[in-house]
Amino acid sequence: MQVLVVDDDPLAGEMIAAVVEEMGHQPLLAENAPEGMEKLNAHPEIGLIISDMNIPLVNGIEFFREIREQGNTLPFILLTGDDPEAARQQESGLSACIMKDFSLDESLPGIVRDVLDGQ
Amino acid sequence: MNSTQPTLQEKIARLRASFIAQLPKRLEEAQQQLSLLKADPCMNRVAAVELHRTFHSLKGTGYSFGFNELASIAGDAEDYTQQLLDLPDESTPPGWPDQMIGLLQELASQAQILVYTDLRNDHPLQTPFFEMNEGQLGEATKQSKQRLVYICDDELEQVTHLSYQLRCFGYQVEHFTETEAFDQAVVRKRPDAVIMDVRFPQGGTAGTDALAEIQKVTGQQLPAIVLSGRDDFEARLSAVRAGCQSYFTKPAKPLELAAALDEVMSDEPFEPYRILIVDDEPEVAQYHSLILEEAGMLVHQLSRPCNVLSTLQEFRPDLVLLDVYMPECTGLELSALIRQLPEYLSLPIVYLSSETDRQKQFSAMQVGVEGFITKPVIPEELVAAVALRAERMRSLRSLMVRDSLTGLYNHTTTTELIEAALSQAKRKQESLCMVMLDLDRFKVVNDTYGHVAGDQVLLALSRILRHRLRTNDIVGRYGGEEFGILLKDVTAEVAIQLIDQLREDFSRIRFSSADKEFNCTFSAGISSFPTYTRAEELRIAADKALYQAKDKGRNQIMLDDEL
Repeated sequence: MQVLVVDDDPLAGEMIAAVVEEMGHQPLLAENAPEGMEKLNAHPEIGLIISDMNIPLVNGIEFFREIREQGNTLPFILLTGDDPEAARQQESGLSACIMKDFSLDESLPGIVRDVLDGQ
Repeated sequence: MNSTQPTLQEKIARLRASFIAQLPKRLEEAQQQLSLLKADPCMNRVAAVELHRTFHSLKGTGYSFGFNELASIAGDAEDYTQQLLDLPDESTPPGWPDQMIGLLQELASQAQILVYTDLRNDHPLQTPFFEMNEGQLGEATKQSKQRLVYICDDELEQVTHLSYQLRCFGYQVEHFTETEAFDQAVVRKRPDAVIMDVRFPQGGTAGTDALAEIQKVTGQQLPAIVLSGRDDFEARLSAVRAGCQSYFTKPAKPLELAAALDEVMSDEPFEPYRILIVDDEPEVAQYHSLILEEAGMLVHQLSRPCNVLSTLQEFRPDLVLLDVYMPECTGLELSALIRQLPEYLSLPIVYLSSETDRQKQFSAMQVGVEGFITKPVIPEELVAAVALRAERMRSLRSLMVRDSLTGLYNHTTTTELIEAALSQAKRKQESLCMVMLDLDRFKVVNDTYGHVAGDQVLLALSRILRHRLRTNDIVGRYGGEEFGILLKDVTAEVAIQLIDQLREDFSRIRFSSADKEFNCTFSAGISSFPTYTRAEELRIAADKALYQAKDKGRNQIMLDDEL
């Protein structure tokens, strides 16, 4: 399955992409919301979006709202460097909200599976 | 799983490494943003937005890669910048600008520490020779000398990289950013050499001045090299006056510095001449032996000529002192016998005899003997005659036994030495290991970067091998890029750890050619005695293991599979 990964930090983006690949999916990378949008339009097979909160122009939550407004119902996982609870409270529609930490390569796959199973 | 694909862990490790590599640049950019902000916090507010994003990103990615200390400081910096952003444009938060400057400095130091420490496991980068279990190496550790180098320079960045490279070569390196700390350290523990910068915050020639002071105070010449950003007459003169042997300008190539350090530390200690005395009368032999030992030579006595060949092989003398009249065979016969073996054709043999008859002396010379000394000997004459010939033999031999480029033993000599070591090990009932080592893709290096670069690689490898292994171990150059090493009195487990550590450190050395930089690696195979009891068997087994290492992808060490 194709997965859209949005993060303006190329290294962080690559790391998430590596985890996604390890799970057997194909990552598609974007550095900001507009690029993410482009990728979504160009690749209708994308089945999941993983986005960092802190991206330029519009942040992760705004990006999420934007695509919901456009009628896109894809599951959306938000990654944040801050307290994930705060983000959750700000936007309850998120499929999941994870804190960026060292064990991302262990915690992310589990969460992705939960989110996809819940679909 | 396809074994040539990097695993997730490997990918993450590489990303971590990239993150660290990019840190200095990112922090520099942040520094520029801060300068703009300091100049005019109102007009340049957008710089604060940029700073905030940078700190937030460093925090997030820092946590992702496990650099919690760095991430935490970045978090504080992010909060502080947020305070600034929350205020109206003309205002600044309390503690401005010092708090921000302080935070950036903390980030910079943290970044230095990360650059400095082991990127994989957060272990300090002391390239260890003896981090292994003391018990296993025991005796051997006392034989090796780790040379201590002090680097005194207030610029942290370049120097940490330099220290790391020097450690790969086997130097123990300590770094000081101020001359005071350096002074105190020298008094506490004297280094084998010093690398000193010229300019310090307190003065343009403060470094060389400090060095000159130390030379005066301790009264001894401390081997010193200058590494400086300055290249002017005043700086160079101050270096000369401080007694420095070499002057390098920054940025310096670690390889060149290592070469200069070697010269400055006058590496090889003088090895005493080895003299074999063959005399059937023990008291006479003892008497002559004492005279020569007094003069600092190493003497071995043999009373039974029938053991001469095995003794020659093990003791490897520089000169043989033969008594002419012995019951089993005469001195003449014995020297003819010795000369039957090609390796002893040029071994100096000196006769000791009470024969004063010149005619008989002359016929002795026909057999190819270096000289004739009449008994009873005059001690000074004995010493002089022996020393002169032994020295001549040494220089000749060194031309014949050593590879001219690397200074390592050549093929023939290495083989001989290995035979000798093997018989010694059998006698002492010790184990030993043979290592066949080969540079990976060396032809490519020569073709891509030129032979001068290729030579650099060979020299660096020889240097590492000579410095990191014990003086007792045998290191030889077998061929173009092939090396043979004999490690005495070690088990295979110890040997593989040792060589693997060397492999790791060698792979991290940066070579340069014109404006290109490259790395190089080697593969090796190890076999051991007593699994194999003959030299050719040892070599063949090690070779096979080396071949396996290459086959499995290079840059690794393989143990012979009999073990």
